[in-house]
Amino acid sequence: MSLSKILGTRALSVVLAIAFCFGLDAFVTGQLNEYVVRLVMLAGLYVTLSVSLNLINGITGQFSIGHAAFYMVGAYSAGIVSNAIYKTQPLAAPAYMIISMLIGAVFAAIAGLIVGMPSLRLKGDYLAIVTLGFGEIIRIIVLNQNQWGGSYGYAIAPKYQAGWLIWLLAIICIATCRNLLKSAHGLAFLAVREDEIAAQAMGVNVTKTKVVAFIVGAAFAGAAGALFGHMESFVNPDLFKMEVSFLVLTMVVLGGSGSITGSVLAGATLFILPELPRIVSFKMSLGLLLSVLLGIGVLVWMNRKFLEKYHEPDKVKRTLVVAGANIGLVVLAIVVGKLLNNVPVFGTTNYDANKIRYMILAVVLLVIMLLKPTGLLGHHEFSWDWVKRVLNRNKTGEASA
Amino acid sequence: MPLLCLKDATIKFGGLTAVNKVCFDIEKGDLFGLIGPNGAGKTTCFNLITGVYEPTSGDIDFLGTRICGMAPNKIAEIGICRTFQNIRLFGTLSALENVMVGAYLRHKTSLLGGFMLTPAVIKETAELRKKAMELLSVVNLTDVANSRACDLSYGKQRRLEIARAMATDPKLILLDEPAAGMNPYEKDELRSVVFKIRDDYEKTVLLIEHDMKFVMGLCEKIVVLDHGEEIAYGDPSEIRNNPKVIEAYLGEPV
Repeated sequence: MSLSKILGTRALSVVLAIAFCFGLDAFVTGQLNEYVVRLVMLAGLYVTLSVSLNLINGITGQFSIGHAAFYMVGAYSAGIVSNAIYKTQPLAAPAYMIISMLIGAVFAAIAGLIVGMPSLRLKGDYLAIVTLGFGEIIRIIVLNQNQWGGSYGYAIAPKYQAGWLIWLLAIICIATCRNLLKSAHGLAFLAVREDEIAAQAMGVNVTKTKVVAFIVGAAFAGAAGALFGHMESFVNPDLFKMEVSFLVLTMVVLGGSGSITGSVLAGATLFILPELPRIVSFKMSLGLLLSVLLGIGVLVWMNRKFLEKYHEPDKVKRTLVVAGANIGLVVLAIVVGKLLNNVPVFGTTNYDANKIRYMILAVVLLVIMLLKPTGLLGHHEFSWDWVKRVLNRNKTGEASA
Repeated sequence: MPLLCLKDATIKFGGLTAVNKVCFDIEKGDLFGLIGPNGAGKTTCFNLITGVYEPTSGDIDFLGTRICGMAPNKIAEIGICRTFQNIRLFGTLSALENVMVGAYLRHKTSLLGGFMLTPAVIKETAELRKKAMELLSVVNLTDVANSRACDLSYGKQRRLEIARAMATDPKLILLDEPAAGMNPYEKDELRSVVFKIRDDYEKTVLLIEHDMKFVMGLCEKIVVLDHGEEIAYGDPSEIRNNPKVIEAYLGEPV
């Protein structure tokens, strides 16, 4: 590719990215539903978190489960600096937000460096325990600082809700990771994930690679934290508990460790999915609930027992049969559920979908992990080339079988 | 000046002396063999040279520089690269990418450039890919360039390891049992690859091997280890007739 062509496509993607961010912002705020606006902004933050954790966890293979700590360091450090200097500086709020983001990123990067150090000696489970401990230590330190409000929380000025900036950060984070994987430098990170000893013997500086992964991953989480702090204008240590780390980790694993597009997809859906029952808010009878749960069990069993072994040279026919069987089963479960409504206890006990939404989420996760243990996209990236390759591979694979 | 020089290299693990006062010099362009029965300390010797372990005493010099205590990646950088006895490829990466990781050692662009994917990085990545393709053709693996390394057959994996080590552009290449588990046909193919590395690419080769026929037909100089000690040194015909070697391999005469 020639230089001018590279610069041309680069400029085009920057323009498109910015257009997308402002377009999304305009579209969402146009809805005037504060709840939806907030949801879209938080989804953007979680996309940043999951993609940045994917750099540490999926690409470099360092099992870290303390990502909420970096998020927290970013939120608090940016908040503290803002409260001290914002009133005395002349910049407009959006420009100031970018500075705030950088402050959050720098402090979180320092925290990343500190956590990265033990990762040079520890692997797998042991590293996971250290990062988990680190996350809790940071939270408890903040919890005990009275000047930052302790458990009461800490007010941050100015309040600034910038959906476009949040999504711009997410896109920068995605672009950074994607660039790395497109370049030969990314191979060093993947090599460390695959086999540290061999990577070092091939001249990869394993120490530097791991520390860089932690620093960059933490910096993006910190920048996201800074934006979160200003968006809420109030933070307290309870917002950065272990659950957040685990939710982000779930996003990475569900999307497929190492797959950036997988992390984006899982980050956005996993955050919005548990909110859906709140939006559509419906009641579910006990009968319907049981029938659907049972149906899901049968669905998993049917897919693994029969449909995976079902060979059919005609791709279209196979897809139709598999989809038909699955949809049919779901419809059957609903019909059975409706019929059960006539039975005394099953029909009269009602559940609010909103209240059991985390149970629904858990079941969905369970089903995905059972049917696809490597995550939605495995190690792959979503692209049209990839889709074509998979279709072709299936064709040739079945032709030879 | 010899390329690699071991002077009384010794390593002790607690009470066990795994390698005891081993001395040998490798000259540029040598095809050097390191043989011995199981547990003789051959792979430990490799680990000393490549910096996985630091010798308890003694010296290892490469081109006149002392390399004891250097990190393995530094040693790879100054020009020593190895393959592994138990294959250690990057399983989920493609064969091509495996070789590119080796070639990555000689990269010139900065990591920051990698995160931004600057034109210089794009150009360099393309160059590394081209270099890796060339090396794959040396070991006859061009047709599986895009297959995952873990999906390749055993013999192909062994050859891929050699290509990956070659990609770091070493002066000295260490092959740890390259022919283990190969059938006679694969061994012949490997032999020609090793000659090609030495003659066409002007590398120096040090290899560990159990297959006597393979070693005798390939190496020009051989060192024999037994229980961590050097018991013989010479060309294949001398080694073949050395009573100590026969004793180490076949046991004492009754």
